[in-house]
Amino acid sequence: MTAAGSQEPRNRARPAPAARAGTDLAGLIALVARGEATAFDAVFEQIGPSVFGVVRRVIRDPAQSEEVTQEVMLEVWRSASKFDAGRGSATAWVMTLAHRRAVDRVRSVQKEAERERRVAVAEIPFDQVIEAVESGLERERVRRCLGSLTEVQRESVTLAYYRGYTYGQVASLLGVPTGTVKTRMRDALIRMRDCLGVPE
Amino acid sequence: MKLTKRSQIRDAHTLAGAYAMDAVSAPDRERFERHLAGCEECAQEIASLRETTAMLGTAAAEPVSAGLKERIMAAAAVTRQQPPADETEPVLLAHGTWARAGIWFRSLAWPSRLTLVTAGAAAAAVLAVAVVFGIANSSMQQQIDQAQASSQQIAVVLTAQDARMTTGTVAGGGTATIVMSGSRHALVFTAQGLHALPGSRGYELWLIGPAGTRPVGMLPAGSHGMTGPVIASGLRPGDHLALTAESANGSAHPDTPMMLDVAL
Repeated sequence: MTAAGSQEPRNRARPAPAARAGTDLAGLIALVARGEATAFDAVFEQIGPSVFGVVRRVIRDPAQSEEVTQEVMLEVWRSASKFDAGRGSATAWVMTLAHRRAVDRVRSVQKEAERERRVAVAEIPFDQVIEAVESGLERERVRRCLGSLTEVQRESVTLAYYRGYTYGQVASLLGVPTGTVKTRMRDALIRMRDCLGVPE
Repeated sequence: MKLTKRSQIRDAHTLAGAYAMDAVSAPDRERFERHLAGCEECAQEIASLRETTAMLGTAAAEPVSAGLKERIMAAAAVTRQQPPADETEPVLLAHGTWARAGIWFRSLAWPSRLTLVTAGAAAAAVLAVAVVFGIANSSMQQQIDQAQASSQQIAVVLTAQDARMTTGTVAGGGTATIVMSGSRHALVFTAQGLHALPGSRGYELWLIGPAGTRPVGMLPAGSHGMTGPVIASGLRPGDHLALTAESANGSAHPDTPMMLDVAL
């Protein structure tokens, strides 16, 4: 998946059960729930870069992003037995943990820096977010689907998801009523869902 | 009545997009999750929107440093995993689980400086409390939410890279253990062997410094000789942590002599 993904774990005492061909993330997490450290290694290789990527988008600071990535991955290790494949994909489970944790971190320090951040965010061109989403088939699809949204929808999604703002903050940034932003966010995600071919 | 319910549901539905992107305030999140628990349709919509936001997330993937991966693997190796749900297990009271968290916390009280790895393990232990809460009944929900929120805050302090530990002797009996993180502007306080106070009095924790004197809160009643853990946030440079015995309702200013005064 990335440079980190092809890295050989050090001090591997025996072949990883996770290395079996075709083991998907949900299967790996089931092995992690049984305490398989090698499966956890494979989980990290599959999803670690995504976790770090989304956390860094929201938090920005690389050192803090590494800390939060560590918290998220340890939560995956700890609560692997709580993953319920009947309620969604393993990727969605991990990414939900990651995004929420990143947002919670940002909000806990937001008050002191709120004014500066408002200015800073207002100066970031929204297109830049989409530009940064580059290469790879899935990235291309996400990019294309983001491009199919209306401007307010796209801005609402990028500010909320990639910047970690609440709908109230997004409303004040965009100068539109909160009710409108709430509706746009839902409409936008439903449109993204259909565009990306996620089952309802 | 029917109309009101319908409009509430519509309202909750509208929030689904914001909720799926974590773009809701804590009270909104709580309200929506209460609604979600009884709305199968909403739960399904959220599940499909979470699959969608997950793709927004994976599209942002970035290479991670080898050092980060090593730290995570090392931390996992010393972190206890949560057991799977067992419906035959009795529900523990919040009270009992805090005592348990306290014991875990006390087991930390040996090294003078916490390493990241042991702090991670301790946080795991503290967070394991949340699992037990997870099987509690709904009437306890609010209490549980609060407890989970603070156990998460506690874990954040314990896992901070700059976490350091101090102990202090309480005048009148007892030992206080404090783990603080400058980067998180917060500390975790526990005490052992505090002298029991009459019902009309209680222990109150304070932050005192150039920024003024701020009450942190009343310590909960101890259990098995352990008090806490209690989190104090909003630390400022030059703060001291102080403990006094005040009237059970608490006081806005310390009115009695300091029983503990620790420079942070």
